Formats: sequence, C-alpha cells, structure tokens
Amino acid sequence: MNKHYWTWPIAFYLFLGGLGGGMLFLAGVFDILYSTGNLGAVQLGAIDSFGSILAPGVFVGIVALGIGTALLVFELGQPKVFLRVFLSATAIIKWGAIMLTIAMFAALIYFTFYLTPILPKGFVLPWQDWLWLRDGARGSMLVFGLGIMLYTGILLSSLKSKPFWNTPALPVLFTVSALSTASALLAATAGLVLTPEFMAGAAGQLYGEALTEFMVEQLHFIDSVLVLAELVVLLTYTLLMLGAGNVVAKNVALGWIKGSNAPLFWGGMIVCGLLLPFLFYQIGGMMATVIAPILVLAAGLLLRFMVIFADDRRSVPGEERYYSRLPKGDEGFLSAWK
Amino acid sequence: MTRFVMVIDQRRCIGCQSCTVACRTWNELPIDIIYNPVVSEGVLGVWPNVHQTFTPLLCMHCDNPPCTGCCPCKASQQEPDGIVWVDEKKCMGCKVCVNACPYGARDVNHKEGFVRKCNFCKDRVREGEKPYCVNTCHQKARIFGDLDDPTSEVSQLVNSLQVNTIFPELGTNPQVYYIPDLGGGNR
Repeated sequence: MNKHYWTWPIAFYLFLGGLGGGMLFLAGVFDILYSTGNLGAVQLGAIDSFGSILAPGVFVGIVALGIGTALLVFELGQPKVFLRVFLSATAIIKWGAIMLTIAMFAALIYFTFYLTPILPKGFVLPWQDWLWLRDGARGSMLVFGLGIMLYTGILLSSLKSKPFWNTPALPVLFTVSALSTASALLAATAGLVLTPEFMAGAAGQLYGEALTEFMVEQLHFIDSVLVLAELVVLLTYTLLMLGAGNVVAKNVALGWIKGSNAPLFWGGMIVCGLLLPFLFYQIGGMMATVIAPILVLAAGLLLRFMVIFADDRRSVPGEERYYSRLPKGDEGFLSAWK
Repeated sequence: MTRFVMVIDQRRCIGCQSCTVACRTWNELPIDIIYNPVVSEGVLGVWPNVHQTFTPLLCMHCDNPPCTGCCPCKASQQEPDGIVWVDEKKCMGCKVCVNACPYGARDVNHKEGFVRKCNFCKDRVREGEKPYCVNTCHQKARIFGDLDDPTSEVSQLVNSLQVNTIFPELGTNPQVYYIPDLGGGNR
C-alpha cells in the first residue's frame, strides 16, 4: 500500500534537523579541537577563538533547527496542541523534541558569547566572562547535535511496518548525509561576519584570514571524505534492500535503480549530489566554495525526499485491489446532504 | 483477566460489506476513513473448481502493538483487556502511529486532525454488547469474545481449529484470528 502520511514538511524537517544538528556538532568539535591554539597560533581568549569564525554557522544551524521544528509542528493534524509531545516516556519523537529544544537553547547561549562586536560599544553581556557557561553550552551543542542527527534516522528506522526504512543502516546513512551537508554549509558560512573589531584585534590581524582559510580547507577536506562515505553507504543501502529486502523494499530499490526514480537516484543523488561535489572540492576556487556546497545541500534534501516517499507498506492480499476500486472525487456529492 | 479478541470465519464470509457499512454508520466516520474493509482475492482455481476468498480487515488489537509506544502524547494506548484505542482529546496528529501500524488500521481525516481507528466498539463492549460489525454480520462470520474465558466461543474456536493471523512474523502478536477459507471444501 502506498498512501503517504508524511510528505514534504517531514522531508524538510529531517533535512534541516540533520543539517542543524550536524552544524552544532561540528562547530562544537572544531571549537574544542582548535580553541587552544594548537596551530601554533596565540592562546586565544573566549571571544577571539576559533568560535568567532564558526559562530555564523552556529547561528545558521539554530535557524535550520528552528525552521525544521516549525515545519514539524505545521505538519501536525492539531498544531495548536504540539506541547503534548512531551507527555510520553518512551516515544522517539518525544526524545527528538527534547534534544531539539536543548540543542537550540545551548547553541543560542553559546552564540551570545560571540555577539560582543555587534553589540553597542561598551555594552557587555553579564555572562560574557563565564567561560564555564560557554563550555557547558558547547558540550550540550555537541552531544545533542549528534543526538538529533541520529534521531532523524532512528525515527524512521524504528517503524517496522515500513520495510524500506526498518533497518539499522538508515540512521547511518542519515548521519553521514547530515555531517556532509553540515560541513558544506559550515564552510560556506565560516568567517562570514568577521567584524572589523575582530580583525582589528591582535589575533584577528595575525590569524583572522589565515584561520578562516585554514578552517574552510579543513571543512572541504572533511566534506570530500564524507561525500565519498555517503556514496558508499547509499549504494550499499540500496543494494542491500535490492538483494536482501522483502518484496516491498526490493520494489522500492528497483524503482531507485532502474525504475521511475532512477534519474533522481543516479543523476540527482549519485552524480550531481556526490560525485560532482567531490570533484569540485578537488578543483577548488569558486567550484569548491560555492557550487559544491549548493550541490551537497540539494542532495541532502533530495535524499530525505526520496526516503520519505519510500514509505510503502506491505499489503494484505487483496488490499490494493480494494482501495483501487473505491470511488474518487465523489466526496462532495456524498456529504452534500449535511 | 479479560482478553477481547475477534475470530473471523472466512469459510462463512461472503464479502457483502455489511460490516463495513455498519461500522461507518455506528462510528460516524468521515467519508475517507474505513475501519474494516473487506478485501478479496481471486477468483482462484480452475473452473469448475473455483473460489474467492474474502478477508475482512480491522485493527488487530495486537498483544505487542507497535502503535502505542511510539505515541508521544499517550493518546494511542492499550487497555488491560487488550483494546487498543486513540484518545482523540490527547492526539496531536503527528501520524507516527499511522506509519507504525503494519496493517493500515489507522488513518487521519485532515479536517479533524486526529488519528482514528477501530476500538472494538469499546463503549458497547463494556456494557456487555458486541461490536457493531459483529452484530451486523448475518453470516456469523465475525465472532467476538473473551479469549481468557475457556467457555467462550472464541476461545473454543481458537483452541480447536487451525487459525491464522496476519503478518505474525512481525512479532506484533495480532489478536484477530482468521479461520481460513479452505478453497470450497469441507463446508
């Protein structure tokens, strides 16, 4: 049976959740790895650290999570009562909602530490010197960002009525794709708003541009590896479904490999979404800084769309025939007497 | 303990769809929602030995329902007597349970926004009556009762005949038992 209950808002939500979670995760990891200046750089303080370069990415990540959550709420049958999501103890959706909330709050707190240059001169946030707060927020960002990436896949793979989703490989695929899209966008936003104040500082003058360049190079390298990893995971996933899935999963995989979705799968995902970005990252220049991230992000979204519409359920014999025979378009006539 | 189950005697079902209509009427269902479709297979076999199999579907009220644990609002729940139902006052319409059900027993009407499903006519059953589809079935193909009561008809049928369940390999332990149509023999 092929009735879609989750459609484009959920596809966007899974994409934006993975993207935002991944950006917070990677920004946290990079900040921890490099904030102590092990590049031979100066010991950078709270404001002047690597965090400033990635702070725009953190903000974009928060926005992505926010839009994703808004779409999730919008997609509900009864959006006004979305707070009920916290009622259950076991539901995966509830854990996702909690992680989204904490990650967004933590990232917002972390982001405020890098606001100083934008704030009016002389205005200092009361918590500006509380480094423990920034480090705590960074830790939460890292942990819950990773959690969100995993959760988007686990949500789908936990549904055993959907043969194409119900495999532990799906969270792996989604997490690799999330990390790949996140590093692409993090590179594109790195150092985007390095303010004159930062550049005027000692660290900025010495290392601002160089650090940003270094960071972008690192992220491009990481994304090249991730794109290849995603290629392997995606092909393995699809072939696994083709070879070892049940009839329903096999049909979906066949549709991807040589059916109606083949142009999207081979042309959109494999070539434009994974192989070309890898090539462009190696070429460098505009290709690596502009075109490759756009392709990687588009492929991430396309992957979520293709997976969310691969929600076929195994039919009871005769079920398809029954539903195909139901009259369509008579709903208005049948309820006109009311 | 009480464990409400349904036995469907496919030898008796003639595919008249009376139960479908009765259910729609009793539960005042929106036009696009059907709790218990009667699907058919066939015509099977070679003339003159031909037959058609009818399979009335409904919520399987599983012992291990995949649709309750995944509900974030505690709206989708199971009673101690086995009845799985949705409290529409608590449901926020996230549709995760609809996707979780392997039997397609749940649906959402977009105007209402909450998830609907068969609840074994919970209110009727609690008053000692039978579900409306069972009352309506003039072929006596639907039999309802307490599996834990050894004197009940369902208990005797399930324990004396070969009965099937749908997709048992999923581990949901469905509690709607089908006495299979034996292809026209042994009537």
